[in-house]
Parts: sequence; C-alpha cells; structure tokens
Amino acid sequence: MLVFFAWLGYNLQNDPTDFFNIFLIGLTQGSVYALVALGYTLVYGILQLINFAHGDVFALTGLFASTLITTHFHLDETSGAFVILLGLAATFLIAMAFGAIVNASIELVAYRRLRNAPRLAVLITAVGMSFIIQNISLAVFDVNFRSVPPLISDHNVLSIGGVHYNWQALFVVLVTAPTLVVLSWLVKNTRQGKAMRATSQDPEASAMMGINVNRTISFTFLLAGALAGVGAVLFLVEFNIRYDTGFELGLIAFTAAVLGGIGNLSGAVLGAIIIGMIQAFNEGPFLWAPGSDWTRSIVFGILIAILVFRPEGLLGERTPEGS
Amino acid sequence: MSAQPPPEAGGDLLIAGGIRKEFGGLIAVNDLDFAIPQRSIVSLIGPNGAGKTTFFNMLTGLYKPTYGEILFDGHDVTGKPPHAITKLGVGRTFQNIRLFPQMTALENVLVAMHSRLKGGIVGSILGLPRVRREEREAVERARELLQFSGLRRVDDELAESLAYGDQRRLEVARALATEPKLLLLDEPTAGMNPQETAVFMDFVSRLREELSLAILLIEHDMKLVMGVSERVTVLDYGEKIAEGPPLEIQKDERVIEAYLGKAATA
Amino acid sequence: MARRRTQATLRGYRDEAVRRSGAHRVGREWRRLPGPVRSFVPVIVLLTIAVLYPFYLDSLPGNVPIINTFPTVRSGVTILVFTTMAVGLTVVVGYCGLLDLGYVAFYAIGAYTAGWLASGQFQQVKFHFGSVGISHDARGIHVSIWLVLLIAAGLTAVGGIVIGLPTLRLRGDYLAIVTLGFGEIIPQFVRNADSLHGFDLTHGTFGISPIDSPGFGNKLNNAVGLPVSYQQEFNADRLFFWTALAILLVTIFCCIRLRDSRLGRAWIAIREDETAAGAMGIPLMRTKTWAYAIGAFFGGVAGAYVATFNAGAFPSQFSFNISVFLLCMVILGGMGSIWGVVIAGVVLSWLNVEGLANIGTWLNNNIFPQSHQIEVAKYQFGIYGVVIVLMMMFRPQGLIPERRRKRELEEGTRGSLDEPLYDMRGANGPGAGERGTPERVPRG
Repeated sequence: MLVFFAWLGYNLQNDPTDFFNIFLIGLTQGSVYALVALGYTLVYGILQLINFAHGDVFALTGLFASTLITTHFHLDETSGAFVILLGLAATFLIAMAFGAIVNASIELVAYRRLRNAPRLAVLITAVGMSFIIQNISLAVFDVNFRSVPPLISDHNVLSIGGVHYNWQALFVVLVTAPTLVVLSWLVKNTRQGKAMRATSQDPEASAMMGINVNRTISFTFLLAGALAGVGAVLFLVEFNIRYDTGFELGLIAFTAAVLGGIGNLSGAVLGAIIIGMIQAFNEGPFLWAPGSDWTRSIVFGILIAILVFRPEGLLGERTPEGS
Repeated sequence: MSAQPPPEAGGDLLIAGGIRKEFGGLIAVNDLDFAIPQRSIVSLIGPNGAGKTTFFNMLTGLYKPTYGEILFDGHDVTGKPPHAITKLGVGRTFQNIRLFPQMTALENVLVAMHSRLKGGIVGSILGLPRVRREEREAVERARELLQFSGLRRVDDELAESLAYGDQRRLEVARALATEPKLLLLDEPTAGMNPQETAVFMDFVSRLREELSLAILLIEHDMKLVMGVSERVTVLDYGEKIAEGPPLEIQKDERVIEAYLGKAATA
Repeated sequence: MARRRTQATLRGYRDEAVRRSGAHRVGREWRRLPGPVRSFVPVIVLLTIAVLYPFYLDSLPGNVPIINTFPTVRSGVTILVFTTMAVGLTVVVGYCGLLDLGYVAFYAIGAYTAGWLASGQFQQVKFHFGSVGISHDARGIHVSIWLVLLIAAGLTAVGGIVIGLPTLRLRGDYLAIVTLGFGEIIPQFVRNADSLHGFDLTHGTFGISPIDSPGFGNKLNNAVGLPVSYQQEFNADRLFFWTALAILLVTIFCCIRLRDSRLGRAWIAIREDETAAGAMGIPLMRTKTWAYAIGAFFGGVAGAYVATFNAGAFPSQFSFNISVFLLCMVILGGMGSIWGVVIAGVVLSWLNVEGLANIGTWLNNNIFPQSHQIEVAKYQFGIYGVVIVLMMMFRPQGLIPERRRKRELEEGTRGSLDEPLYDMRGANGPGAGERGTPERVPRG
C-alpha cells in the first residue's frame, strides 16, 4: 500500500496534468463500478449471497440497450441533441426495467427455492446462473462486440492547464450522482427501503414484524438490477460490450464492494471509486505502470488481500468473533 | 489485565482466572474464577443466558476470553484453537446435538480419535500393515466405546437417523473417543424423561469411576445436578453468585432469587 | 406430499416391471455372490472395456443416432485427463466441502512445469536427464517425462499449500471468490510473463512448445519392447491413451484409499460440521490444506500430462470456464462419490471435446430445417450452467450419491436417494446452528 502511494506521489510531482487526467478517468470509471457494486452489496446485505450472475445481468442489459439505441431509436452522432437526450432517457428507463426484471427473475427461479439450503449450494447455483445468463447473451447477441455511436461528444467541457474533462465523463457523473441520491432516499425514507434494512439485519424478526420477506427480497433484486441497467447504459457511452464483459466487470465491482465493506452502501461507492482510480493509474501512461494486462491480477490481489487482512472492508464493522 | 489465577491448589485439573468475555458492548462473562479438581464432578448452573455455554466455549477454545487465563493440566490454553485443547485432554458434547449427520455412529466415534491416531497419507494410500492394524484397533476401540455408552447394534446407522436418546449417548461416546481427562457435558439430558435421566446419572458416575475423568456439567435438571455433583457453581448475568456443595446451594438465598426472580419478572 | 406419492407410484411400477421381467431373479443370484467379488466385477468389466477401446473403436458403428460417432482415441486422452482432474477436485469440494473455483490454476502450474522441465524454453542451460526423442545437443532442460509428472505434481501441491495459507481460513463464499481469484491470476500471469525484467519465463501468449515426449528410451526398447518415444510412434494416440488411463486409475485408487483413511474421515467431518470437527481434535487449517494439496497434486499431474500430450502449454487452454466445467462434473457425479464423478467426468468431457458438436450435427441434419440450423457447441457453458442449477435445486447429492447405506443395498429400494439431501455443511459459528433433532419416539 505504501509503495503504491509513494508511486502515486512521485507521479503527481512529475506530471501533474497527466495525474489529474487519470484521476478524472478513474473517477468516471469508478462511478460505473459504483452502480454495479451497489447491486452486489444490496443483495449480499439481504441474503448473504454473492450474486455471481449480477455482472452478466449488467452485460445482457447493456447489449439489449445497445440494440435499443442503434436499431430501434436510430440514434447516432448526427441526431439532434434533444433527440439524443430523449432517446437516452428512454433507454435508461427501459434498461432499468430490463435489468430489474432479469435480476428479480433469477432470484425467483433459482435462489428462492434454495432459501434454506446450505450457503454453498446457493453459491454454486449463482455460478451456474452466471453461466446461463452469459450464454443467453451469447445466443442472442453473438460473439461480437456491440457499441453505440458516439452520442455524447468527447469534446472537452473544461480544460484547465493540460487537464481535460470531456462531456462523456461529465455525463456519467450527471447521471450517477442523482441516481445515488435517489437510491439513498429510497433506502432511508421509504417503507420498502426500511424493510430492506430490517430484513438484512434480521429476517426472522422482520417477518414477525409483518414485513413480507419474499417481497422485500424481490424488491432488492429489482433495485440491484435497475442500478445495473443504469450502469450498463453509461458504460456504453464510452465502451463497447460483449457477452463476457460482465465477468471481469462483475469481479471488479465485487472487489469494490468488498473493499468498501460488503453490505455497506456508501462503502460500495467508496470502494468503487478507489478501484476505478487504481485501474486508471494502472493502465495510465506512467512509469512502471503495469498496464491493462495486469489489471485483473491487481484487482484480484487487492480482493485477496482485503479478505485475508481486513474482511470487513473499509467501512464495514468488525463482526464479533463467532458470528 | 488478568487476575492472577490461584496457585496450583492440590492438583486442580483446570484453573480459570479472571475470565471475562465481551461481545461488542455486551458482557457475557464477568471476572469469573473457576477451578475443577482432579477426578471431580462439578456442575455449572444458572438461568438461561447466564453465560454458561459462553464459558464452556472459552474452555474449549471456540471463543477467546477478552481477559483472563485458563490453565489446563499445567498448560496455558487461553485462546488456543479447539483442536489443540482437545488434544491436551478436554472433550465435550454440545448443547444442540452436533453429530456428523451423514456418518454412522461408528464413524462419528472414529473421527474423534483423529488426534490419537497416527496414520498418515502415504501409509493410508499404500495400505501399510502398520496403518491397517491401527485402523483395526481403532474400530475395535470405537465399538467398545459405543457399547460402554449404552448404544447397542447401532454402529452402522447414520447418526441422523438415531433416536434422540441414542444421539445424546453417541455425543458422549464421541467425546470419550478423544481420550479426555476432563469431560464437558453441555445439557446432556435436555429432552430426556426421568427414567433416561436416572440412567444417565449412573452413567456419569461410572465415567468418573471407570475412566478416572473429571466432569463439568451444565444442566437445568436439578435432580441430576444435585444427585451427581460434588460441587455446584451458580452463574447469573455472567457472574458467579454462589459455589459449594449441592445441599448448600439449594438453600442459598441469592440462588433462589436468581431463579425465582427471573421467573417472576419473565 | 404429492411428490412422494408420485415417487411411490413410480417405484411401484418399477418394482412391478422388474418382477415381470424376471430380473429380480438375476438380482437375487447376484446378491448371493460374496461381497468382494460383487464390488470387483463391475470394475473389471469397465476396465476391460476401457483398455480395449482403441482396438474395437473402428468396429463400432459410425452413424449412431444423436451422437453420430464414438470418440476418437485422441479425444479419449483428453477425456481421461479431464476426468482425472475432476477426481482431484472431488477431494477438495466433495470430501472436504471447500468450494474451489480456481482449480484451473493447478492445471496451469502442472502444464507449465512440464514446459519448464522438458522443452527448449530455457535456452540458457543444457540439462538432460532421461529425456527421450530429442537430441542430446538440444539446449534447454530436458528431464524424463515420468519424473516431470512427479515433479509437476509436487510443485503444484506446494503451490496449493501456498494458495491455501491465506485462503483456507476464510468462510465458504469468500473462499470461493479467492480461489476464483487465484484461478484468474495464474493464467493471466503465464500469459504475460514473457518479459519479467527481461527474463522470459512463460513465453507469453505463444506458450511453451514443443514439449518433449514421454517414452522409455532405447535401452528399455531393446530389452522389453517398450516404446522409445510416444510422440514419434505411429500409434502415439493409443500409447497416450493407455498411459492416461493408468494415471486416472492411480488417481482413483489414491482417492478411494484416502477417503477411507483417518484423513478422509477428517475431511468429511469438516464438511459436515466444521465446528464439531475442530472440537473433536481435528486441526482444521492443516487438514483443509492437505485436501487442497492433494487436489493440487492430481491437478498438476493432469496438467503436465496434457502438456506433453499436446507437446505444448498454451495460455489459451486455461480459463475460469474450465474450473466451472470441472465443478459441474463433481456436482453431477455426486459430491464425494468417486464413481459418480468418473462417469460424469467422462460424459461431460466427451460432450465438450466431441459430443456437443456431434449432437449438433445430428440435430441439424435430422431435426432442424436448413433455415434454422443451430450451433450446439456454442451453448456449451449455458448447458453446464443449467446442469449445475438443476442439480443444486433438485438433486444436490448428485446422480450417484456418496453414501450407500448398507441396509439400502440389502433391501434394494428405499432410502435417501429419493429425497433431496444436503450433505454439504458450511462453516457455522460456535453456538449457532440448531443441529439438535426434536424429540423422537425411542426405539425398541
């Protein structure tokens, strides 16, 4: 860790403009990760289950959204700004619904039956579901990468010194921030949100208090899926998607959730931003940056290190021994 | 901070001093001193939630005391992992039966002999005569233990399909297979009817006589406790409120209040 | 409730059918044979079928419905190797209950060890020890493959222990993720380790090839007629096949012996109730590490053997998919059931290597119209996913469950086979876990 910060410090001194550029890239990427990480953490909080299939739901939704944008809405760089915004808004809503429904269906079909099975059985099932969803993506959308034309320009909004901040990055933040606010409101102030929190702490007591546990769990999955939907569309703005994109992205997002403290919502966001940064710095132009070939290994290394040394993550609570 | 445990008093088998266990803000066991003399039968009683099982779990290494020291047979076992403590000679049963459900009664007992057997990987794969013999002898010993514990003809039955009383007996047989010097029994007669309990009482005495064991009992069945223990310790809210021979405890006011008080306010 | 009644009715039909066919008389005669004979005969029969396979393969029909053709001997080698790995994984997942999602790491370590010790990779040195089929002037490290198999197994086992140290103290789901992590890190490492400060360790995406051949050398050839060098024999496939079969048999033997040993009991105890196991004197970390190491050992042997069979170790061979694929075999076969895993392994490997493609062709030729041809092989992993999910939901004990109660064999019918059982137990905190059974009517 210290080595990493030293390396960062060195680069900051040497090349501040690049540093801030990468910083912003990391922030942007981190935002997308945050949306997916929240999905993992929400489900884990309530079921103590790692929904392996979540990343693949993300990918499937992204592929679906890309088809929407290109084939159904016919959006491309020549469409007018208003049309683009409208089209994107519609895509967001539809993608959210799609992601929500797929995610909730997985729970209904597979996990619900195994509610009382040993944890290992559900975990294995989650792995199986991940493969099924991935294969559905493959079957419907084939092996090729899908992308959307550059709808948001990559021209710069601001340019201070050599530090650039383009519209695409701004767009990501403009969508992510309100989403997080809405989510936060949902969890804190609505009945369903409170039900979610209660059920994650004690399902039996919640049931006895009159909370419909099944419905609450479904709601959680719907919410997680919707978040993945938003993330998928944002992802499409800059990158392309394939049937197996979900695997790596899912693992990165999961690491972020664990880093922040699995089950903790703010932790998921914090962890995601940190991981986004780490990835950006890793792949950036700096000296000794290992490069994108090593991203997976680095992220996994972080995951392993956290689980071994500080399993409760940055914001999680140390659980008392024995529970 | 740890209280000094009392000096080796006439060969006490187990000495626990200043034991304290905190879970977050909850103090489950508070500054408890506890000693078990050799070859004695002692009981630990108290209302539900008094901290008995928590203390038990600390003795067997499942929990680590927040403060305090535990000496067993001259060894410091504070915070040691369960298998190490078992190897030193502490055997236990569980309050909620924790047999290996998919293993037969015989296998359950065999498993518990793990720390007393030596057969290794290579020996097992090659089927060396030394290993085979050890296994044969282990099986014989296991069958003897099952018989001793009053289990007849159930050697090859799956543990989960045994009758409740037999399961309790199997738990004891299994604990005995670890060749303990101290046997911890956590509510061994829960769910038994009076006849079964009486039989169990005899069994406990036999254990001490024939196997030279010390026994620590957690129990709610007062008849068993008073009938078989030499000394009774009473816990309430994690603290020791009384300790002494059964007859004294029965008359102790604080004890009566602890039990009746709970009943009155419950 | 309705399900039980249906099951009972079906069982009734089955029993009736058995009775009518007179098969039960055969069954009775069969049961009269002494126990040891009964358990050996099926094994001998299967063994004979397997060993003679290369000989009668050509006389097998070539246009079988659905599966089209029978697997070639070459495919047979791959099938056997994957099955060996599945057996190795069974030790970790099936016996000990540790969900290992990164078994492919062991496969990779084994293969690359073979690459390091039996190829021209390290041109910096020239070291020969029992190598066959290659000129003694060739640079690089060239050790006899038989030795390489052992070394690779040992090295992989060490790797398993190293991976296990941080990993095995974690709880079930975290353990799974971390093993997944290692299963990803190691292949990514070999893919990129062609220039570690200038040193080429794994030759990057090209992999290491050619890798030497197993063989017995000239002396043994002159003495007993054993083949000099597999890769250069005209019936190389058959030689590889029989050796692979031998490796599988040795693996099966070792695993059965271990299961019935003190260590095996400890593993199963850990799987059933880790806390109770610890309380009964089983050192948890050490025992789990042994499971991991042994699983790694056999994974390493398989990996090294594949490398010499393919005459190369390539990063493209190693992916997370393989770990899940092997897991699928273990689940299908029955956690901890060796014969179940072998059957599931053979079937699934065959599907992977030839079967799905064949089935696809057959379906496309005979069922699907020209306009709607499907490519079955593409759905491979979806199919495995479905298998996993269905098995977990409806028959988690696998097709051939591990425990056969003796009573069951005697009486022939009822038993746990018909009920969903979960004989896997995750780790539970002390004091937690209501394992007591409610009051039952005392027997007898």
